[in-house]
Amino acid sequence: MIVELGHYALVLALATALLQCLLPLVGVLTSDPALMRTGTNAAYAGFGLTLLAFCALATAYVTSDFSVVNVFENSHSQIPVIYRFSGVWGNHEGSMLLWLLILSFFSALVAFFGSHLPERLKALVLSVQAALAAAFALFVLATSNPFLRLDPAPGEGRDLNPVLQDVGLAIHPPLLYLGYVGFSVCFSFAVAALIDGRIDAAWARWVRPWALMAWSFLTVGIAMGSYWAYYELGWGGWWFWDPVENASFMPWLAGTALLHSALVMEKREALKIWTVLLAILTFSLSLLGTFLVRSGVLTSVHAFATDPRRGVFILAILVIVIGGALSLFALRAGTLKAGGLFAPISREGALVLNNLILTTATATVLIGTLYPLVLETLTGAKISVGPPFFNLTFGLLMMPLLFVVPFGPMLAWKRGDLAGAAERLLTSALLALLVGAVVLYGAWGGPILAPFIIALGVFLMLGALAEPAFRAGFGKLGFMLALRRLRGLPRSTFGTAFAHFGLGVTLIGIVCATAYQTEAIVEMRPGQTIEAGGYSLTFDGLRPAAGPNYSEERGHFSLRKGGVDAGEVWSSKRVYTARRMPTTEAGIRTFGFSQLYVSLGDSKEDGAVVVRIWWKPWVLCIWLGALLMFAGGAVSLSDRRLRIGVPARSRQRPIQAVEAGE
Amino acid sequence: MLFWVLVSFLTACVAIALMLPLLRGEKGSAVAARGDVAVYRDQLAEIERDKASGLVAADEAERARAEIGRRLIAAVDAEASERRVRDTPRAGLLAQAAIVVLLPLLCLGLYISMGRPGLPDQPLAARLATPDGDIEVLIARVEAALVANPDDGAGWDVLAPVYARRGRLEDAVEAYRNALRILGDTPERLAGFAETLIAAADGQVVPAAREALQRALSLAPGDPGVRFYLALGLEQNGRADEARAAFADLAASAPANAPWLALVQSHLARLGTPTPTPQPAAPAGPSTADIAAAEDMQPADRKAMIEGMVSGLAARLKAQPADAEGWQRLMRSYMVLGRPDEARQALKDGLSHFPAKSEPGRQLLALAKTLGLVREGL
Repeated sequence: MIVELGHYALVLALATALLQCLLPLVGVLTSDPALMRTGTNAAYAGFGLTLLAFCALATAYVTSDFSVVNVFENSHSQIPVIYRFSGVWGNHEGSMLLWLLILSFFSALVAFFGSHLPERLKALVLSVQAALAAAFALFVLATSNPFLRLDPAPGEGRDLNPVLQDVGLAIHPPLLYLGYVGFSVCFSFAVAALIDGRIDAAWARWVRPWALMAWSFLTVGIAMGSYWAYYELGWGGWWFWDPVENASFMPWLAGTALLHSALVMEKREALKIWTVLLAILTFSLSLLGTFLVRSGVLTSVHAFATDPRRGVFILAILVIVIGGALSLFALRAGTLKAGGLFAPISREGALVLNNLILTTATATVLIGTLYPLVLETLTGAKISVGPPFFNLTFGLLMMPLLFVVPFGPMLAWKRGDLAGAAERLLTSALLALLVGAVVLYGAWGGPILAPFIIALGVFLMLGALAEPAFRAGFGKLGFMLALRRLRGLPRSTFGTAFAHFGLGVTLIGIVCATAYQTEAIVEMRPGQTIEAGGYSLTFDGLRPAAGPNYSEERGHFSLRKGGVDAGEVWSSKRVYTARRMPTTEAGIRTFGFSQLYVSLGDSKEDGAVVVRIWWKPWVLCIWLGALLMFAGGAVSLSDRRLRIGVPARSRQRPIQAVEAGE
Repeated sequence: MLFWVLVSFLTACVAIALMLPLLRGEKGSAVAARGDVAVYRDQLAEIERDKASGLVAADEAERARAEIGRRLIAAVDAEASERRVRDTPRAGLLAQAAIVVLLPLLCLGLYISMGRPGLPDQPLAARLATPDGDIEVLIARVEAALVANPDDGAGWDVLAPVYARRGRLEDAVEAYRNALRILGDTPERLAGFAETLIAAADGQVVPAAREALQRALSLAPGDPGVRFYLALGLEQNGRADEARAAFADLAASAPANAPWLALVQSHLARLGTPTPTPQPAAPAGPSTADIAAAEDMQPADRKAMIEGMVSGLAARLKAQPADAEGWQRLMRSYMVLGRPDEARQALKDGLSHFPAKSEPGRQLLALAKTLGLVREGL
């Protein structure tokens, strides 16, 4: 009964979304406040119902109810309970339900925190959100219904893909979807503003926290996905420029641009039209990503099942949503008033430069991702656009942007002082060059560009710290006074510093792990020793072992450094019993930020095993930087001025502050 | 019943939640102050802060303050005009009707067309506790026991032929292998193992199967099934003379009414002719090759293929109904496809040709009972 109740709840959620789409819209058109207000309750109800449906499916998964087709096809009673639960979204139907759940969650958040929004705007935003929810609920029910039943029920499921039986599956998709779908709120705000024909600095203020939240989740979601691929797939790589990865990376780039342009719009009421366009484009890229991954156009571990009907359905949603929004934009953009003016050398100018480069980079990735698909459709030729293309185009584009990043926050609004900013960054730059020189000396004969990019990374990190330090007046005022002033700085200053610092950390991780990694593929016999990254690994042989639903051969390696024992590494090859599918579990040993990565290959008759060993210096920085960026987003979000529901309560205080100031 | 109560309750809750703002009308709406006014005021405060920390120059701050001030005035004006707009009549009645009528109608219509309201949850633990007649669950139970204790030979021994009968050939081979490893050789186990290997190899007597057959023969000389497969292996290897001798031997030692005699003689006839005639057409319906092909397919394709084969089988049986095995296969196929009504029809059609009293008729009925098509005593 729980399953059927979940099914009904999903149907009811669809109907609720339809009403939530129509009633507030009619309310806005007829200026009926009562109708406009139905959106709020409908959003709560929609979220509650979707949650109910999701919980029902999760119950079926956890209790191994194989009378549900979806559970039968993607689960197995022997899987540990956590993977049975995360298996809910380890398949197409379940992951679309999660998508829908998060979409309705954001609708409910808007309803909850939107009490200070103008009623018309709020009603329209909820209406647009509901239109999206209705489209996807219909998609789920019509083509990907997870609640279909089997009677009689099979006795055992077909098992979850072993690669997905990992904590990574529990973490990566929900975070990624929080990011992807979070941008739907920005999209809805943009469309609502276009319908209403009114858009101002306040609009940007309301959109920014949502963009910030979505961006933060997307950042950490992508990073977790990357780390998961790194340790699970056993190839030692952390980013493959795979179309599925690009699908999540494009909204991130566009979202980063949106975040910065919304800042300009809020502060200076400039870049209005551009910001609205970016909000639409960012979510469109999220949808495009969903289409690419879900339609089966791309085959990968993410394309759980391919069914042409699904592809056509998502394509239709894509065309209607993106086409509709862009048409509306074309129709209304002319009526929007352009905002304030500014000099090219100013904070606005720096942010415009950031936007230019980021959107160009997005376009590059988009072309690299779609070109092979289009070519294959038109001519049938199969080509693959790989890392060389992306590294050359994307990498080249990003370098100047990264160099400019520390300058942006140092410039004043409206009219900045470039020489002054450069002067303030001089210390950081000199220190960075020093680090670069040391690296160049230490790794003489290595890749020639790497030390320079490392210096750039250090410059980013130090430059990010220099900004709050300068604002607080370190060096000019007394230390204690500066510390007090530092505490008084708005949180968003720290958010910016964190995020930019994290960017530098990631950059350093990428460069070090790419330029200075060592790789060895050797056939090892028990007792044999090999050197990697200054450590010597001795292979001690394979031992059989068994897990809850797999059996494995575990290879044991003992590590020594300079003759001293430095621990051990286990690396294994598993065979999952239900699908008889082999996987490799890489053995990873962390030393500081660096990692030793051991992966087992084929074993030979005489006890020898092909072993792949990588030494990955500073590789953890890649994901650590992303976590710092996430932290930066969170800190910014906690800024009083952005706290989403704030003005209703604390409106009085700032006014008094102004009066006191005057 | 409880299900429908909950469904009504859920629907009613949503309808009420949607109706509330409409019923409350104007009364509940203390006009919220416009948010943008608050934002602009906050921005004015921010300029002071920025000026204090050197983020904007003093004259720029003054200009920005004027800029924001202009926006603030415009926003306050807009707020005033918006208050005046609020006196428009409400179009709520239509909306209320939409909620009260449309919501339940739409939901019930959609749900009933897609859902299975009568079908209870079937968590595995509960099914394992009371597995009456649920063959799948019985298999699952033995499997679970074997995961805990993989050296239980008897479990593998029970499971192996069950797997083979249900077409899970790979699992069957594995189970036979385990049973042989733990419990040792018996002629039956070896023969079953060999037969499964042959079925898994599309009817080819592969070396592993031949080896098992020879071991079986050494334990139980003269077993006709084992000898047949060995002869078949010789035939497939192109050793026609040896194969002919083996088949002839088998035919000579057979009792006169052995049901497999005809098969042996057909092989003999084929081997006897100087130019080998093409293989006789395999009986319609899924062949092992087809099944193997089906395993590699997408679920949707696989279903389409199975359905194609089943409808082919049904058409053939309509033309030549004197095929008791065909009817059994058809019934089973329909059950696999989840079409019990058609399975029942197949049973009826089969029984019309083979009376329930006859041996094939009894077999049909027995199968129908295990498939759950008819109740005891029918």
